[in-house]
Amino acid sequence: MQQKSKREQKMAKKRERLDVIKDILMAVRENRSIKPTRLLYASNLSPQMFKEYINELIGKSFIKLDINKNEKKTFSLTPKGNNFLEEYRVIENFINNFGL
Amino acid sequence: MYLYDFVWANKEIFKLVYTLIIGLICFLIVLRTHRLFKLSFHQGIRYFRNAFFFYGLAFVMRYILGLYFLEGLYPFFIRGVFEFFLIMAGFSLLYSLLWRKFEPERGIHSSLFNLRFAIFYLLALIVAVLDYLWGSYFFMFLLQIILFISASIISYVNYKKSKKNRFLRLYFIVIILNLLAWLANFLVATFFNWQREGVISIYVLNILIFFLFLYGVMNATKKQERAENG
Repeated sequence: MQQKSKREQKMAKKRERLDVIKDILMAVRENRSIKPTRLLYASNLSPQMFKEYINELIGKSFIKLDINKNEKKTFSLTPKGNNFLEEYRVIENFINNFGL
Repeated sequence: MYLYDFVWANKEIFKLVYTLIIGLICFLIVLRTHRLFKLSFHQGIRYFRNAFFFYGLAFVMRYILGLYFLEGLYPFFIRGVFEFFLIMAGFSLLYSLLWRKFEPERGIHSSLFNLRFAIFYLLALIVAVLDYLWGSYFFMFLLQIILFISASIISYVNYKKSKKNRFLRLYFIVIILNLLAWLANFLVATFFNWQREGVISIYVLNILIFFLFLYGVMNATKKQERAENG
């Protein structure tokens, strides 16, 4: 197996916060509504980190938690979350362009 | 030389135009970057926005206060306020490039009221008071030159890391122009006794720098409009 450089390893290991948020929101959007366990797998995060991100995204009204009659929980995207995904490239460009 | 004579003879009008241009540019930058920050909660965007908030405040406050307090000790107060906000803008701009080294990615609750910024406020206040006591701008010029040398090095490293991004080169050039403007300010104030040609040239250079910043911000957010329409 080819040895990866330290920098590559570090980059592969650590996703930027914005990338993680984008990945979670993309997974929710692709599935329209998604169960917490499936979203945890899709996000590729530890349960602890996943919980933190989900709380943050709910707090910022990017996603909402829906509970149906059978008490089953699913997440769905809000218009604000959708707006974030549409403007994600712009935000990413802005950060890269100014080295922020 | 006729142009310099004309500008000098109408300097009050040109001061107003200069303040309006810089104030408007800062307002537009704050508006655009605030929108991006509200979506992303990215700390770098937040500090970049704050830098232009302080720049705008510095120039507008200087003009407005100048209208009301023209005599006595008040010019020193106006100068102190102007210096304070300019230094805070310099700190914020540099910190927007450095924040990752000092705080977690999720950031802190308030970007204007926290321990680091308390230190910046204190330093800005000390420099403004020192300049007041010395009756010069020396300490502010020195600090701004140090801040922009640091910002130049960081933006050069960023540009070298990602040579494909031509915008990073432009940003590096803008930071260098900023450094040159502060060096020119220092030279004109120290060795040429605020010679009018020097002062007017610095004003023109400052406007160019702010327009370049605006161009960068508008360019980045223009793509957004295209994406919305597309």
